[in-house]
Amino acid sequence: MKKPRVEEIVKVLAAGGIVVLPTETVYITAADATNPEAVKKLCLYKNRPLGKPFSVAVTDMKMANDYVELNQTAKELYKKFLPGPVTVISKGKHKTASGIESEIGTLGIRIPDYKLVLEVVKRLGRPITATSANASYQRRPYKIADILDNISEKQKKLLTLIVDVGELPHNEPSTVIDTTLDDLVILRQGEIKLKNVNEVSSRSEENTRNFGKELWQKYEHLLGTRAIVFALEGPMGAGKTQLTKGLARAAGIKDEIVSPTFNLELRYPTSRFELSHIDAWRLQDDDELEGLGFGQTINDKSVIVVEWADRVENTIRKYNEEAIIVWVNIKYGKKENERLIAWGNL
Amino acid sequence: MKVLAIDTSCDETSVAVTEGFRVLSNIIWSSASLHTQWGGVVPSLAQRQHEERIDWVITRALKVAGINLEEIGCVGVTVGPGLAIALGVGIKKAREIAQSLEIPILGINHIEGHILSPLALPKTSKDISITTDTVGVLGLAVSGAHTEVISIEKIVKKYKILAETQDDALGEALDKAARMLGLGYPGGAVLEKMAGLGNPEIYRLPLPMLGKEKELRLSYSGLKTAMWKLVNDLGPNLDKQQIYDLAASFQNMAFRHLVRILSQVLEDYPTKQIWVGGGVTANLELRKRLRKLGREAGVTVKFPYSMKLCGDNAAMIGIVTGLRIAGGLSSDNIDLVDRQPRLRIDAV
Repeated sequence: MKKPRVEEIVKVLAAGGIVVLPTETVYITAADATNPEAVKKLCLYKNRPLGKPFSVAVTDMKMANDYVELNQTAKELYKKFLPGPVTVISKGKHKTASGIESEIGTLGIRIPDYKLVLEVVKRLGRPITATSANASYQRRPYKIADILDNISEKQKKLLTLIVDVGELPHNEPSTVIDTTLDDLVILRQGEIKLKNVNEVSSRSEENTRNFGKELWQKYEHLLGTRAIVFALEGPMGAGKTQLTKGLARAAGIKDEIVSPTFNLELRYPTSRFELSHIDAWRLQDDDELEGLGFGQTINDKSVIVVEWADRVENTIRKYNEEAIIVWVNIKYGKKENERLIAWGNL
Repeated sequence: MKVLAIDTSCDETSVAVTEGFRVLSNIIWSSASLHTQWGGVVPSLAQRQHEERIDWVITRALKVAGINLEEIGCVGVTVGPGLAIALGVGIKKAREIAQSLEIPILGINHIEGHILSPLALPKTSKDISITTDTVGVLGLAVSGAHTEVISIEKIVKKYKILAETQDDALGEALDKAARMLGLGYPGGAVLEKMAGLGNPEIYRLPLPMLGKEKELRLSYSGLKTAMWKLVNDLGPNLDKQQIYDLAASFQNMAFRHLVRILSQVLEDYPTKQIWVGGGVTANLELRKRLRKLGREAGVTVKFPYSMKLCGDNAAMIGIVTGLRIAGGLSSDNIDLVDRQPRLRIDAV
């Protein structure tokens, strides 16, 4: 394998090209974050509208300070975790191209613990985008094939250079922490945890769907070993079906996921497995879950999402050995549209 | 030809005898009515309950129709959409009957039954001629499981879904709102009564998909969330008037949303008739609003002639079976009549 040459990469980036680069987490699509044309191209590649922000990679805290206002909380996080798999969101100084900062002017900064990337940024002298190189809701890009197998020819043409260093270790994407509010808010959780529990904050239905995608990606590798049960609890309207929509989409299901309340169970086949979407809201007691063939579905090593899982908790827990059971709790947050989503062995 | 129709798509065990558009009997054994307390249906028993009841319901349907089983010329059975284990019971029974009588069997789409249910006529009706000439009608299915606007391009032959819910069904949303207000389950009907006593302007709830009507998508999850927050903010001890007003506000927005989407559909796909079926059709306020929309748009809105034809029932399946035979569609291969839990009407 040819050793990637820093000069070559920098040349492409400086000319407004998009480069796929390895990091300590996943492959990213790098573009000069101060070049509007490059950012537009990146939006086209990622197939997302302008307005959804991109995080950027810098070399150190000093460079970060040129692009965002670092408050005390942010500075402490930088000292403690960076370089490393953490993205810190601060108030932007509007020095990047339009479309990089969020609509409310915040910017996510990351200092990858990966020499090649740091050298490239240093040589370029400007931050580069650090968004993952996959198309939306596609599998995490740990190898180049993960990317190329899931994009169109048109998208491929937008990539000027691909730096292939083989398959990366399967590390979680970076933990995303928002420091612009009074409290620290975790928007995505990777290897680095700030609390003992797994908990992220969602600010919209779209965030919740996106979390569903991330949740799937955390457990996808266990597919086929045992059944995977996502046991969702949370009050009316918390977003359980929204979460399922994101999870199903990431799992490759193209059908629209709708509420299974009336039907009790809806099944969605994929080429690899069957997703069973169960709603326990109408169930009167625990045993009734068995009546839907829950045990058989577990035997089939299916993927099961149970809404209102607290209503049938005893039955679900009976399968602690046979299945991988992920409890997910969604709570209403303090702010309008805010949700706190905790998951794991709750 | 007399049709024996069976529907076990979810909670109800229903068997009907129909002839053309006439409903000779329509027996519905509802588990929901047996379990009106919280939670409603007992699904683990759904399969067993359907199995236990179906023979009795068949006997009853034949008796009310005043005929013997041997007079049946064809069997129609719901194959989907619905709960797999429940559908299976009706299908098994239908196949047994078709086999023993050596008569044709047809697998029918439950939603098709709902949107064609306004065609049903009472037993006493003189006109039993059946026609499949109708084209270019809009169908609206509103139930606990479905909210779909369908273009009936060619009756029993070609349908197209124009708008559907992307999350909760209308009937489900109403039931859930009723549950939030402590009105039991299924509470849609109680909610309607309470709403009639309330003022829909007291509490503010969002109109779903406002400004996005052109996308022709229905959604009730946002409205449900807003209602939950509202009820929570008001605290646990709601007084009667508050419950009335909350019920009125929710029902108002739920229906306004549907009517707005429907009037957008009418703009995009002009038609002369709308046929409405499904459990929520029993709601008189909804009927009133749909009729008003019809008057303004110069469209005739047709509902089923009886309340029994609104919710899940087998007579509507009999009507579709009769229409398919009249339309010259051959019967299905008995071995291929099988459950299709997520069957869509555009797959007919």
